[in-house]
Amino acid sequence: MTPFVFAFKLLISVPVALVLSLTAIWYIWESGNTVLYDSFGQKMFSGLETYGLLAIPLFMLTGEMMNEGGMTRRLINAARVFVGGFRGGLAYINLLANMFMAAIIGSATAQIAVMARAMTPEMEKEGYDKGFAAATTAAGGLLAPVIPPSMMFVIFGVLAQIPIGDMFLAGILPGLLMAISFACVIAIIGFFQGFPKGDWFTRKESLAALLACLPAALIPLAIIGGILFGIATPTESAAIASLIAFLVGWLIYGELKPSALFALFKRTAVNASMIVFMIAAASVFGWVIIYEALPQKLAALITSITSDPFVFLLIVNCVLLAVGMLIDGIAAVILITPILLPIAMNDYNIDPYQFGVVMCLNLVLGLLTPPVGVGLYVASTMSGVSPWQIFRSLWPFLLAVAVILVLLSRFPLLSTALI
Amino acid sequence: MLGKASAIWARVELTCAALLAASITLLILLNVVTRSMGAALYWVDELAIYAMAWMTFLGASAALHYGKSVSVTVLTDILPEPAKSLVAKLVHLIVLCFALFMIWFCWRWYAPLDLARHGFDVKAFQGASFNFIYAEPTTTLGIKKAWVWSIMWLFALGATLHSLSNLFGYEPDTGEVE
Amino acid sequence: EDFRLGLITPPNHVWTRAAEAFGTELAETSGSAHSVTVFPAQQLGNEAEMLQQLQTGALDMAFMTVAEVSNRANDFGAFYAPYLAKDIAHAGRILRSETATDLLAQLPAEVGVVGTGYGMAGLRQIVSRGDIQSAEDLAGLKLRITPFDPILDFYNAIGAAPTPMPLPSVYDALANGQVDAIDMDAELIWVLKYYEHADTIVQSDHMMFPMVGLVSGRVWAGLSEEDRAMIGELMAKHVDTTIDSYIEMEQPWLDQIEATGKTYVKVDEDYFADAVTKWDAIWSEKSSALDALRQVGADTAE
Ligand code: NA
Ligand code: NA
Repeated sequence: MTPFVFAFKLLISVPVALVLSLTAIWYIWESGNTVLYDSFGQKMFSGLETYGLLAIPLFMLTGEMMNEGGMTRRLINAARVFVGGFRGGLAYINLLANMFMAAIIGSATAQIAVMARAMTPEMEKEGYDKGFAAATTAAGGLLAPVIPPSMMFVIFGVLAQIPIGDMFLAGILPGLLMAISFACVIAIIGFFQGFPKGDWFTRKESLAALLACLPAALIPLAIIGGILFGIATPTESAAIASLIAFLVGWLIYGELKPSALFALFKRTAVNASMIVFMIAAASVFGWVIIYEALPQKLAALITSITSDPFVFLLIVNCVLLAVGMLIDGIAAVILITPILLPIAMNDYNIDPYQFGVVMCLNLVLGLLTPPVGVGLYVASTMSGVSPWQIFRSLWPFLLAVAVILVLLSRFPLLSTALI
Repeated sequence: MLGKASAIWARVELTCAALLAASITLLILLNVVTRSMGAALYWVDELAIYAMAWMTFLGASAALHYGKSVSVTVLTDILPEPAKSLVAKLVHLIVLCFALFMIWFCWRWYAPLDLARHGFDVKAFQGASFNFIYAEPTTTLGIKKAWVWSIMWLFALGATLHSLSNLFGYEPDTGEVE
Repeated sequence: EDFRLGLITPPNHVWTRAAEAFGTELAETSGSAHSVTVFPAQQLGNEAEMLQQLQTGALDMAFMTVAEVSNRANDFGAFYAPYLAKDIAHAGRILRSETATDLLAQLPAEVGVVGTGYGMAGLRQIVSRGDIQSAEDLAGLKLRITPFDPILDFYNAIGAAPTPMPLPSVYDALANGQVDAIDMDAELIWVLKYYEHADTIVQSDHMMFPMVGLVSGRVWAGLSEEDRAMIGELMAKHVDTTIDSYIEMEQPWLDQIEATGKTYVKVDEDYFADAVTKWDAIWSEKSSALDALRQVGADTAE
């Protein structure tokens, strides 16, 4: 009964956060554990009491400041100097910029928020299908939690009691593999559909574009420098980045007035609260599911099927894919790790780093799968393209990730070689 | 009347949420500055997290008024007109149910009547009800957590107001937030 | 009845194994009338959330740090008196004293939970990025702590700049220098390799870190006398086993850390000058149990 009600509410477009909450309420009712109602409000609130979540409004604000202050436009303009004339150049720029950002940002949703607002309009202006533009950006955002730093790996490392530094190393090869596979996807789509071809800048234009973007380079420098020189944690560097973006947009480019700030904060508040509220609802939902020990029952079922680690990982992949459709990212890592990791390590002798990478990448994928795909909705909100339209162009990227997942499941070395 | 109240309240919620978004940024920057001076403030993290929680619930309630919530519209987009508005009504009704549930949860949680019955004596109330909500401390701020959690009341009441207004036909106005 | 028991430690951790052993023995003793489902690794929420769930009765049982309990019942803060125990075995003797057990009596009224007995994690140590010659070198250092008053008061008394930071950020913060030092136990220093980005490990043993086995007050009220006796006794027995585990494992962890070749300093109470006196001045006001526990400490010192 519960899954049916869940699907029905989702399909008549009840807000996703409320679908999760109401399903939890319904499920508590059915199970008769009505004492959980006394903790419902508290649990929903505490779903937000995570330091790492602060990165979401902060990076959204950075994105707003970079866009409104004219910074993103100049950065992309500068990138055009190098590959602007190639066929499909801007799509590759999008991917490269995402790789660069992934080395700064640790959360896919935060990165998608920044990049979708900046890249989608640019690509659309140049004649790309806007669904494809948003999809490329959303896929590029998946690099954020795989290429270090990564909020998800940190949480997995803590849960698995393995060193976080090593866990970061484990993500490098898979991250590069992903980037390469995305480049291939773009090339193949370009081959069949044909991409718009841009024009090369004249020498004078090139020089102007490069000069104009110099102040914008302060942001990545400040973020990396801030972290490396011990001034700020990754979350804090987001706040610093938005401060710099504001100062540059206001004092140097003269495109951002302090009087416009309130509107920016309002937009940040609305967009961030949408995402964070979903996480709150998902945490209540996960709490109820865990409380009824559903995942444990599921795990018992898996062990009865196979004794081969590769087959086990494939099954886990399928299960996680389903989980990722319903529960997102970090919440899912927290829910799943304690249940599946002991089975993986004890019953199948699987390396915890390999398992962590496979599991996290799989759940990252879930960020872009409907019906509950925060990343997909962020991309949609920030780019103004409907989730469905994005998903239509997105599936080849998701397929590429699926192939990489199979490779990572088969060859442990891809995760453990650098450790 | 209802529509107007909903609109005004949504504007208040949104303004507060925007101010909170600004204060989150300032608090985190304050953290960087004070720590680099070797005088880290103990309470900044917790306050920033609460600011985010308040921003989130205020924003989530206002989003109901502005029709800005994340939802799956694959099916509803292709529905013919009379069915479409019927489904929309049903959604408003479901949202109202959720909001009323939240009020009920807050009521059970804060148990205001029970507390009054014990003459607002928290110890006596706790002893009789095993409800320790009023004793729960914040970790670093030195105030009672019950104050921080009170946003759940504002959220529940705001969501009720907006969903009632939506249900009785006042069109959500999306102009404010674009 | 099937009870739900929550804790923050991962599967295979000493505490989690004790919880599972408790469940197994409870099922045997009760002739399968009762069973326990263990929820490790914060699956049901962090300690504050679990405590709130114990209060409402949504959660039946938990193994929890005394730190979380002491936020609500100040008397328990006395366990964190610096150098209350001179080594880990001594800490075990203090936790097994009658004075310690008597403190549990106030939990039902103050916090809404029933305390069955104490367990333990390792003693607190200091890991520093820079060279630490003397306690003066700690003054002014940005030192990561868990946000919790007794630890805060200790480092304030030393003159360090205590900096709260969530555990997942600690490794990078130490690597990059957002903090200069961290307060941590030997187990995590070794397992999470916090020593990698440190120059000096100070084995200070300055504070014990007790754990307590809890049952929801609401749930307890609904149990029969026999069930209460059986559950109380078995849980106390199994949380107590963690004390022996840590007494046994603490030294090997410290040896392994020392063997990494980092500068390793072993210090005692004198190293911190009058910080301990300052701490006691603050906490004799806050906790009525401090004098009694200090007495127990002196009596059991050997
Ligand atoms: Na990253
Ligand atoms: Na999903």
